[in-house]
Amino acid sequence: MAFLDINHASKTFADSAAVQDFDLHIEKGELVSFLGPSGCGKTTTLRMVAGFEVPTEGTIVLNGKDITNQAPSQRDVGMVFQAYALFPNMTVGDNVGFGLKIAKKPKEEIAARVKEMLGLIKMPDLGNRYPYQLSGGQQQRVALARALAISPQVLLLDEPLSALDAKIRVELRYEIRRIQQETKITTIYVTHDQEEALTLSDRVVVMSAGHIEQIGSPFDIYNYPSTAFVASFVGTLNQMRCRVVDAGSGKLALGDQPFKTNAPIRAGAADALVMLRPEELHMGVREGDNSLTGKVESVAFLGSVVRVHLKLGESVVTLDALNERKLVLPKVGENLTVSFPPHGCWVMG
Amino acid sequence: MKRSPVWSWIWLLIGVFYFFIPLVSTLEFSLRMIKGRYTFEAYRVAFEDPYFYLNFGYSMLWAVLTIVISLLLVVPTAFWVQLKLPKWRPYVEFVTLMPFVVPAVVLTFGLLRLYGRPPLSMNSTPVLLIAGYAVLSLPYMYRSVDAGLRAVDIRTLTEAAQSLGADWGTILKDVVFPNLRVALLSGIFLTFAIVMGEFTFASLLAKPAFGPYIELIGAQRAYTPQAVSVVSFLITWGSIMLIQWIGRGARGQVQVGGAR
Amino acid sequence: MAVERSPRADTGPRQDQGDAPSARPPRKPFSWTWVGVVPFLIFALLFLFLPSASIFIRSFEGPGGTVTLQNLLDIFQKSDIRNAYKLSLEISATTALGGAFFGFLLAYAVTIGGLPRAVRNFMLTFSGVASNFAGVPLAFAFVATMGNAGLVTRLIEAAVGVDIHEAGFSIYNFWGLSIVYMYFQFPLMVLIMAPALDGLRREWREACENLGGSTAHYWRHIALPILAPTLLGTTILLFGNAFGAYATAYAFTGSFLNLVPIVIGAQIQGDVLYNPGLGNAMALGMIIIMALVMLIYGWSQRRAARWMR
Repeated sequence: MAFLDINHASKTFADSAAVQDFDLHIEKGELVSFLGPSGCGKTTTLRMVAGFEVPTEGTIVLNGKDITNQAPSQRDVGMVFQAYALFPNMTVGDNVGFGLKIAKKPKEEIAARVKEMLGLIKMPDLGNRYPYQLSGGQQQRVALARALAISPQVLLLDEPLSALDAKIRVELRYEIRRIQQETKITTIYVTHDQEEALTLSDRVVVMSAGHIEQIGSPFDIYNYPSTAFVASFVGTLNQMRCRVVDAGSGKLALGDQPFKTNAPIRAGAADALVMLRPEELHMGVREGDNSLTGKVESVAFLGSVVRVHLKLGESVVTLDALNERKLVLPKVGENLTVSFPPHGCWVMG
Repeated sequence: MKRSPVWSWIWLLIGVFYFFIPLVSTLEFSLRMIKGRYTFEAYRVAFEDPYFYLNFGYSMLWAVLTIVISLLLVVPTAFWVQLKLPKWRPYVEFVTLMPFVVPAVVLTFGLLRLYGRPPLSMNSTPVLLIAGYAVLSLPYMYRSVDAGLRAVDIRTLTEAAQSLGADWGTILKDVVFPNLRVALLSGIFLTFAIVMGEFTFASLLAKPAFGPYIELIGAQRAYTPQAVSVVSFLITWGSIMLIQWIGRGARGQVQVGGAR
Repeated sequence: MAVERSPRADTGPRQDQGDAPSARPPRKPFSWTWVGVVPFLIFALLFLFLPSASIFIRSFEGPGGTVTLQNLLDIFQKSDIRNAYKLSLEISATTALGGAFFGFLLAYAVTIGGLPRAVRNFMLTFSGVASNFAGVPLAFAFVATMGNAGLVTRLIEAAVGVDIHEAGFSIYNFWGLSIVYMYFQFPLMVLIMAPALDGLRREWREACENLGGSTAHYWRHIALPILAPTLLGTTILLFGNAFGAYATAYAFTGSFLNLVPIVIGAQIQGDVLYNPGLGNAMALGMIIIMALVMLIYGWSQRRAARWMR
């Protein structure tokens, strides 16, 4: 039994099943993300852990205690909402200390804890400000401090950064991870932004349409996706429909250009959908790698990455190359030979 | 987080009772002209009274004049403030709040002192009455039009039209007024309801109108005043319903009325 | 530095610098644009500001055209006038507090209280109608309800066997008029409080629960403090509403209750105590009170808006 167990939880509303058979076991101190598009059930699952929704089926067990039907105010979890939800009539200090005030802790203890929390979020002098005087990023940090002040066993974050500007989002992302690792608190982080999920998490739970697609480390999710959904949702993905030349030895052909893959191919299949990440492709020929030639359709210089769209046979393939000062950018319309290793691609379906 | 709404139903019931009992009573009372049975006799008497039509007609006339003047004053102002004179907004809004600060009684007092005596003696004409009504309807008309303009972001629309080559006439005709239709109609019907039910100005300025008429027959007769009150209520209710119906789908505007 | 266009840009002054020039050509030194608001301003001047100014000035006018403060002093010194103000203040305070209390409970019932959506829509529509149903017809409606031959009177007689009017009960007094006033005070409160209650974000309640708070905690520390400016402002508005009412009082209790508007009305109609300076002073007193009401109301609106951002 792990620290937080969500055992086969389901939530059905009047007209739809929002979450189906959600089974997850989280270790103490882990940061797990729920990643998926809108409507996939990630927020509903989070709210079941918080107590704002009661599971139709299944149980939730925290540190050995079954909290499935417990009221939100009795659970030992702290929640950070997407819209910050700071109490507008209270100062930052009062907001952070609110949970302790409810618990009737002595004034000195509250003051000390508030000071500690404000130090943790690096806003030690803003205790007397009101929420409307703060920026979005500052408000979200205060919300975090408020949730942590009550020393919960689990921290829940519901898309905390989606209301913020891009630059603030990146800064705050690292802050949250830093604070989580400093306090070693078990955390669930809900997001639709895969970059956030990959950067922050110990493990990622990819969800779609109410059920779990895959659970794994960011590296595994990205490089070894178990379903087509995960493969295309996380990162950019090339999907090439190829002819199977010989299933046993992994020989395939794209148009009339042959190449090899290490991934297993279903015996008897006439064609296969080959998945390839853009960064696995390189411009030019490489020893031991597959080589394909195609026509350049577009070249985009993104700064650290050069993105080339190449027409290979019937498919248009994306190639991502890291920028180098001596790089010669390909021209639109010219023929370009690209290569990728046999182990860099895999077959789906 | 489900709370049992028992108390909510109780308050609702109390509220509904309080609202409906007077209405039901008035209706019931108005039907009791002839002893022993319910009849529309009171209504017959009311509708056969030539003064009913006379005073009702006068109020209609005052309503129409008020609406016209109000529109002519408010619409260009609201439009100009939104588009070109945003710095004037606080001052204009202050003016639209003034009618709340100067209640009808007080305004009548001031108007008469200033314009009702020689050498001006304007009270032999309905000018002061219409002016008073226009002042009364100003806040509602302005707020309605202003909200309507804001809801469609008239400045951006005008700039878009200008960039496409439209002149002011086209802009007013094809961009401004069609988008203002709902707001204008709401303001018009609210003004209509206010003027039809108004008493203070008409009574104190001694002008013929529906309000003083009801008061007069109230002093003279029984049952008929209640019948006319029912008619008056139906007019008010009808106007508000029209406003709600016109404004369905548009951004919700709270039409707030007041004491009279 | 680029000027940002936020969705609220249309509520503030236009930033004319940077890359967002205004709609008119920038060359003209003298602009005619203010002409559009001139008719409006002239109207306001003639029929709103000048009469008010005249009231102010003539308050200091004694009999025979002398300048005097006596009129203003009479407000405090003459017992009839003092009593008129006292009575007006009393009925305004009573119906403001009563209307605020019941109106708030009703607004709560139809918004957060868990009633079906249709009920809320019906109540708000009806409140819109009821808040406009004031004046003479309302007075007669209550006569038909609780007067000598009123429905409620008859029902009580039928149920309990007592003719309350014969027993000395009368509605044509302070309390009777208060009940009549409540008919438009109540819905006004509902109309203003319902959106304010809607503005209480669900997350605030959830955050409170998450931090261990109960419903009582939520209301005591969060919801009521947030609503306080709106509650106060609306109650003051109700106060002003009742204070300025003339038609309803005139039609219901006539000159029996010497409320300030009634006394002023009597002055206009050239009644017994015809003293123009005094009438002016009383009118001025009303203006001052109403101005205070609007100031407090405006302040409360701004305060509420700041928190509800």
